[in-house]
Amino acid sequence: MFNEVINKSTVRSPYNKVFNWAEALPKNTILKKQIQAENLFKKIGVTFSVYNNYDVSERLIPFDLFPRILSASEWIKIERGIKQRSIAINAFLNDVYHRAEIIKAKIIPEKLIYNNPAYDIKMVGFNVPKNIYSPIIGTDIIRTNEIDFKVLEDNCRTPSGVSYMIENREIMMRMFPELFQSLNIEAVDSYPSYLVDILKSLAPKKCKGDPKIVILTPGHLNSAYYEHSFLADLMGVELVQGSDLFVNNNITYMKTTEGPKKIDIIYRRIDDEYLDPLYYKNDSLLGVPGVITSYKTGYVNICSAPGAGLADDKAVYTFMPDIIKFYLGEEPVLKNIKTWRCYDVKECKYVINNLEKLVVKEVHGSGGYGMLIGSKASKKELNIFKNKINKDPENFIAQPILELSTVPIFDKSSLSDRHVDLRPFSLIGHKKFKLVSGALTRVALKKNSLIVNSSQGGGVKDTWVLAD
Amino acid sequence: MLSRTAENLYWTARYLERADSIVRLLEVAYRISLIPNTKEGYDNEWESILATSGIKNEYLSIYKEIKKEKIEFFLLFDDRNSSSVKNCITSARENIKMVRTAVTLEVWNAVNSFFYSYFDLTKKKYYTKDLPEIIDLVKRNVNLIKGTIINTQLLNDGFDFLILGNYFERADFTARIIDVKYFILLPSTSLIGTQIDNFQWSLMLRSVSSYRAFKWAYGNSEIDYIKIIDFLILNSKCPRSLFFSVEKISYHLKRLKNHYKENKNFPSKIENVFRKLKKLSVNDILDEGLHEFLTTFIKDISTVYSDLEKKYFLGS
Repeated sequence: MFNEVINKSTVRSPYNKVFNWAEALPKNTILKKQIQAENLFKKIGVTFSVYNNYDVSERLIPFDLFPRILSASEWIKIERGIKQRSIAINAFLNDVYHRAEIIKAKIIPEKLIYNNPAYDIKMVGFNVPKNIYSPIIGTDIIRTNEIDFKVLEDNCRTPSGVSYMIENREIMMRMFPELFQSLNIEAVDSYPSYLVDILKSLAPKKCKGDPKIVILTPGHLNSAYYEHSFLADLMGVELVQGSDLFVNNNITYMKTTEGPKKIDIIYRRIDDEYLDPLYYKNDSLLGVPGVITSYKTGYVNICSAPGAGLADDKAVYTFMPDIIKFYLGEEPVLKNIKTWRCYDVKECKYVINNLEKLVVKEVHGSGGYGMLIGSKASKKELNIFKNKINKDPENFIAQPILELSTVPIFDKSSLSDRHVDLRPFSLIGHKKFKLVSGALTRVALKKNSLIVNSSQGGGVKDTWVLAD
Repeated sequence: MLSRTAENLYWTARYLERADSIVRLLEVAYRISLIPNTKEGYDNEWESILATSGIKNEYLSIYKEIKKEKIEFFLLFDDRNSSSVKNCITSARENIKMVRTAVTLEVWNAVNSFFYSYFDLTKKKYYTKDLPEIIDLVKRNVNLIKGTIINTQLLNDGFDFLILGNYFERADFTARIIDVKYFILLPSTSLIGTQIDNFQWSLMLRSVSSYRAFKWAYGNSEIDYIKIIDFLILNSKCPRSLFFSVEKISYHLKRLKNHYKENKNFPSKIENVFRKLKKLSVNDILDEGLHEFLTTFIKDISTVYSDLEKKYFLGS
């Protein structure tokens, strides 16, 4: 297990100043600042909704004041790796929905694509604007040692958490301005304007003039609603719900106090199957009837494209190194984590026999649900999972139990190590790639826990990339 | 502006005003409960609170009997009462949450903090002795939010929708309060000038928080029904009068017309209502019949709202 702050009993250089500062903080100052920070979050309304909570169904994501720090050289490597992956992912999606060369070349098994629930047959042969299917990608990265950052997961549909990246920074700057004066920390506040820039580069064919962007949200009950409104505000675009839009003669309009206004680009934060009741779920009111026809006739762009989720499926993930090689002819900068695919008979056997040493995940699961950590499971749980895997091997993958790196948190005002991961948000548009030097660090607040998801007791930290 | 944004702003303000009105009614009822020997008036008062809020049937279907503590709880906290203060505050916050980028951070903070402080109350058991404090909390917060709106919002179309929500609710509410009690305002030979009359009238003024204002406006002369009708319906200076609300509605609708560069010659319903009010005297109203006048007024205001809704909120 890699301790990011103290290695071989010396403090690693990026943390030099901050560690000394944290050690010197008086106990009551820490407690006071923690309460201040929490009140600030609450006041601003940074909350996420929890579906199974009857009361006021909003909670704050716990925020820890000890920052996560990356050096400039570490960040350069991460950036190179993410850029490479984003380009490869979009090339892959474009190929799969057109000539499917990667299948013909027998790099990826056919059924993994065509039987995949995220594969959208209606997208076959359609040319999305500038061939960009997934302009916004959140890459989950873990650190295993001094040198290695590995990708745990790609999120190509509607990754969330970027608002926390920006708000965490705001709070830290208010709490500890002295740190920002003495350290050279890269800013993260240009993300919203980068996003506008990237989306505008993806205007649909029939758009004339300055493209009009909207963010499409499922509504205020959605767990990420705060983020939707936060982004709309900072991007200076309208936040709409399905009922605010309508399609007439293939053109998509929004309803305004001055009558209908034409729109060109929808940054959607709703899932594929809710986009258009005429195409997908016909019992849903979240979407816009006719918007897919508007999309296909080139009047509006939908970002990310329907069917883009194919690329972040956990089974497709295992092929990512091959995908990068196939389209770019390069070795991956960021490695994958060793993964066993249960649909392969030999690998499945290994998984079944070594279950207590592995993490088993459902291929389509997310948010830390549908997951088994072998070392922590009871005999009964292990048996249940063995049966599950045997019944439906294609639905599972397994990975070694990861040694996520640790960074300390303030645990009742003294420092205590916890496991963390890293989610940078990259943007790829027409001949453009943008990544702010910063990310979301998620932290497992329970001691020794490896689950960092906010829905399961995870918290967040501000993430600093130091300038050279 | 997005049609839904306009609608959410409108309803935010409307729900806040409603929460405020409900606690003012409760305040009056609370006062009565402190005065001895008003057994009869007291029961009537509780009933008319329910009637004014238009929820008498809802209440009776759940609680069966008119009882002080139960009515208080029903009006303040009951989830089953769609107009309980709790539901008003929740709806106000839900509406503003959907358009939080259309209001200033200060306005959002004011509403959000109000929501949290009121929800702290709902976690505790309700005791009737807490009523004055709760009333005070709600009044203080609603006033704070309104002040924050006026002090921090850009005076754009969104501002107009906020103000319109406020005054549509107030016009409707004041009209209902008068209507529920119109019988005590009618001249009747047997009761004129009696203690009961004076007491009832002063309560009516208190229920729209205008008791002190009435004294300022009319000096220390005897309260009588002519003055009250004048004050609550026709007085241009009383912020709770129908006249005042209509003037505000008319002004802000006109601003919207200008803002959206609409055809000015198109006559609007609110202008007719306003013109009519300007020409009226108390005697005209009494000749028409107070109840009939109020019924027409409530209907007129609701037509003006329907027009507004069609034009700005449905947006197609």
